[in-house]
Amino acid sequence: MAPSLNDDSPPSTIDEAFTENNLQPFFVLQKGSSRKSDGKSSGTGRTRRIDLSSASPKNSANIEDEKEDENMNLRMEAFEFVWSKIESTIKDVLRVINTNVFSKIQTWVHQSFDTIRSLGTPEFPEATQSFPIITDANSKRLFTGLVLTKNMEFVDDLLTFEELGKHLKYQGCHVANLSSLDFTPKNGVGGCLRSLLRQFLMSSLDPADISILASWYREENCNNPVVVIIDDIERCCGSVLSDFILMLSEWVIKIPVILIMGVATTLDAPRNILPSNALRCLCPFEFTLGTPAERMDAVVEAVLVKPCSGFIIGHKVAVFMRNYFVSQDGTLTSFIRALKIACTQHFYTEPLSVILLEFASEEDNLVLEIERHGLSPEVIWKHVFELPSCQRVKLNKPTSESLAHAFSELKRSQNQWRAVVLCLYVTGKGEKVRLLDLFCEAIDPESYNQGEFDTNMKAEKDPVLSSSQIKGHVICKAVRLVSLSSIRDLSTAQLGNLLKIWENLTVGIPEVIFAGSFSVLVLAFLLAPTFINGRELKIPGYSNRKINGKVKELLSLLNVEDGKSSKKDLTVTPRRHTSRIQLNIEKDSKSLSDKAANLIECMVRDYMHPTECIPFHEIFCFKDVDKLRLALIGDPRRRIQVDLLEFQKLLCCRCCTSSSNALLPSMHDTSIMYKLAQEHGDLINLHDWYQSFKSIVLCPNSKRKPRQSPLPKKRKGIKEGESQSEASIQYPLLYHSSIFIFRKDLRILDHSCYRARFCRAVTELQITGLLRMPSKRRPDFAQRVAFGL
Amino acid sequence: MDFHAAEEEEFGFSRNYFLAKEMGSSGKKSACKLSDINVVDEQELREASANLEPKHQNDVADLINSYKSLYPKWVFDLRCGFGLLMYGFGSKKSLIEDFASTALAEHSVVVINGYLQSINIKQVIIALAEILWEQLKLKRKVSSQSLPKVQQPFSSRSMDDLLAFLDGPEMDEKDSFICVVVNNIDGPGLRDTETQQYLARLASCSYIRVVASIDHVNAPLCKLGIEVDSILEFQLLISVFFLAGCALVWDKKMVHAQFNWYWYHVPTFAPYKVEGLFLPLILAHGSSKQSAKTALIVLQSLTPNAQSVFRILAEYQLSHPDDEGMAIDDLYSISRERFLVSSQVTLNAHLTEFKDHELVKTKRHSDGQDCLYIPLTKEGLEKLLSEMS
Repeated sequence: MAPSLNDDSPPSTIDEAFTENNLQPFFVLQKGSSRKSDGKSSGTGRTRRIDLSSASPKNSANIEDEKEDENMNLRMEAFEFVWSKIESTIKDVLRVINTNVFSKIQTWVHQSFDTIRSLGTPEFPEATQSFPIITDANSKRLFTGLVLTKNMEFVDDLLTFEELGKHLKYQGCHVANLSSLDFTPKNGVGGCLRSLLRQFLMSSLDPADISILASWYREENCNNPVVVIIDDIERCCGSVLSDFILMLSEWVIKIPVILIMGVATTLDAPRNILPSNALRCLCPFEFTLGTPAERMDAVVEAVLVKPCSGFIIGHKVAVFMRNYFVSQDGTLTSFIRALKIACTQHFYTEPLSVILLEFASEEDNLVLEIERHGLSPEVIWKHVFELPSCQRVKLNKPTSESLAHAFSELKRSQNQWRAVVLCLYVTGKGEKVRLLDLFCEAIDPESYNQGEFDTNMKAEKDPVLSSSQIKGHVICKAVRLVSLSSIRDLSTAQLGNLLKIWENLTVGIPEVIFAGSFSVLVLAFLLAPTFINGRELKIPGYSNRKINGKVKELLSLLNVEDGKSSKKDLTVTPRRHTSRIQLNIEKDSKSLSDKAANLIECMVRDYMHPTECIPFHEIFCFKDVDKLRLALIGDPRRRIQVDLLEFQKLLCCRCCTSSSNALLPSMHDTSIMYKLAQEHGDLINLHDWYQSFKSIVLCPNSKRKPRQSPLPKKRKGIKEGESQSEASIQYPLLYHSSIFIFRKDLRILDHSCYRARFCRAVTELQITGLLRMPSKRRPDFAQRVAFGL
Repeated sequence: MDFHAAEEEEFGFSRNYFLAKEMGSSGKKSACKLSDINVVDEQELREASANLEPKHQNDVADLINSYKSLYPKWVFDLRCGFGLLMYGFGSKKSLIEDFASTALAEHSVVVINGYLQSINIKQVIIALAEILWEQLKLKRKVSSQSLPKVQQPFSSRSMDDLLAFLDGPEMDEKDSFICVVVNNIDGPGLRDTETQQYLARLASCSYIRVVASIDHVNAPLCKLGIEVDSILEFQLLISVFFLAGCALVWDKKMVHAQFNWYWYHVPTFAPYKVEGLFLPLILAHGSSKQSAKTALIVLQSLTPNAQSVFRILAEYQLSHPDDEGMAIDDLYSISRERFLVSSQVTLNAHLTEFKDHELVKTKRHSDGQDCLYIPLTKEGLEKLLSEMS
């Protein structure tokens, strides 16, 4: 079997392909070396490191390499820290959402257990017998909790059921989690039992027998309920599930099993899946989980809006993730996965991302010790200078200190932004504004830079707002309109509640400047170059009073008004903008809710600064949406076709690049074939295809346009001998081509060579799935599979 | 905006499809026959194919080399917990294996060749468990901790147990994973749903990271952006895609929670030498027939008992050249005598395997009884038997 290796003759390619390993279903390529002392450094995968250990003296390049390695390891550490924070935050948020349902389920489980126990506990002789006890129909009832997930995407609920299991375990129940994979016709009910035994007894016994479970439960003192959770019954095999239910119901006195089943669609689902005898055994109760949109908003709030890890995503990335969630995938799981990919990308590409390790943990007084991050100060400053956001503001001479202050400012600005976004969110909540949509609009730097707010103001004043006017930033504007109109429609009590929420949300929003905490340098840096795109960059809080103060003021006003039932005027608008937005006109006629509406307008204008408008944000913010898209979705269908159609771009060869779309003989065979296939319908006549292919590779100056249809009838008559003579004539033309496909000896230029090339190309197209081989019915035709990119 | 683009794309797709359909059925269909080209012997064609001088050899080498700069990024992604999925035109086998042997030099690496016809995924998982066991033993020795004794050998454990072992609690060093390289995860040997489920569960184990290549344009169903409203519709789509020769169907749990893919577009334009070895050549005589070489490869992936059953049939065929085939009952009684099968069911399982890979065919005997034969020439069969031993 193994190829006979003869040292004298070069191994032919077929033998190479037939090496032992290639024909093994699997093989061990290498075993991990035991030396793990340099542990972390293994991760960077730098093969160059091997060279470093050689005896050669360490030069500066090596030192730089080592530093880079060290920095990469620190980035990995920072990533792990940041991601674990994000992950645990998400878990906490989801747990909180489910708390109510979980505690309801828990109470029900214990009540059900008591009911089962009230039917009687088996006496010792009965309990030790290896068959079930059945007294009456009641003793066969199986308490079943149907948990409505309201979500077709069961992947999002896997974690929920896992958490539910943990929760009940913590409350003293014996819990086993089964998935639809345990209910396959292949394994039958034995498969489910084996899974139960493995989870309860921690052992896999064969043959699986439920009496083993009964004796295990007896030994466990029979004091706690046994809960079996099935995450998605609609994906289970109905007959296996039915057998399982019938079996459990017979044993329910000996093993007080309480079933919890996830249902994605409606409560009718069990009726559609199970036969009536199994349904009769169930004693169902209903529970409902939160909707996917609620969960999404909660996650967005906790991870992207509130301070969680310091890592943030840019506007384009957020919009892509939202669109992917809304119109393509629809699962929270993939949204989180996309976030993780973004995070990975960011930490890999951004050397200063290591700072996030401290940024996330430190308070305002961030002390940066650049050297600690394995990078030389020169490298860092060079990098900092090259950040586009830093180039916009002309920084004289950045130091660690100024950088630290700028970060504090970034943090402060984010806090203000967050407060406004959340205020908007609670205001628009009644109108079903989704936080994800709001978030995407609130971080849009373009709308901010274009001074969009002013135009909005006009639009808001205009009662007839055409749809074309709100195109583009439709969501943000809608949110504002909604929030404004809803504020104006609120009753005093409702307004009071809203203001109280605003008050809570704006607590601790720091007032900037004059606190004496900034050095002159930072002031110069932050305040002097405050013109971006010809528009004044407002320094938050510079001249305005604290937001929280204003809200409080308004709230007290409300109380006064509420008490006296009289109108009283108080201007709450920031002094600086009073003249511009002219809030002082007709003071007397203004209602309090107008003032609240004005307040939120001011907050949006003055405090909702997208992070992407702030210097140094690149260190924390991931913006490369294309990389994310490629990594998350891939696109084999389109990309593999483009590879073939535009192969010269990838191979960077000059010989095949021509201004026209002509097919050249130097091109990759499969590429030629695929381009030729484009001329055919869904069926390709193999004979014609072969002839077309041969004519291309034979005739170098036949600059055929791929869109010209093949002329099989003309070519059909070409004798193979003629082809050869034709090739001989063309030979001098081909000779100098560096990509010359044949061996230089023209004798080899025979037909089997063309056939072989044709066959290989067909096989390759078959592997890529772009072609289906001829069927018995149509032996002369192959079938195209892909149409259009 | 994106929505419109997607709509446009969909429209383009259907327009192209119907245009192509029209072209195909407009009556201008060529009547030329494949047999007009002088089809040749398969062996000859394979030899010629093997001796072809590759085009753009240097450019291809440069392209593959250019991916070396991505190795550190790939390692970074693996350490972050992702699986890598490589796609793009050209064989990626050597690229991935080179990556594994250079950038993952300190990790154990197991390669699965998905392009082969039959792969026993349990054997792979047993091998992985054994490697991990050794690795843990070595570590504990260093850190003087005791490792619980293995209760039973891995080979007799259930899949669930093996996967639970591979998904054990992580050690202090987070990046001490075993890398599983899967060449052609959409290949014939791995394509079935059960194997894909096991691969997905394997990929989600804490000690495992997967680097896989995919070649089929229609790879996973949910990657096509198809929205499925009901389970029935989903099942329908699955069957449609299987009929259309679609490679894989991964559900969202597999994609997002288990494989956790990080896609990389790495076209290599390297020839699919070994991957194409088992596909029939279109211009060869009897291309649908099984060659002795491919038969051998299939047989080697089967159990020793199955091989022995095949041998009985082959020997019978050689000793009775004039017979139409061997009766199933005869095969059963001989196999049972030699303790190769315990029941008709076991024999049938072997036969199904043989038939699936076209190693054996059934023929109706003149006396009305079904009999089995191997679709190989006498020489081919002799060669096969000698190589099997």
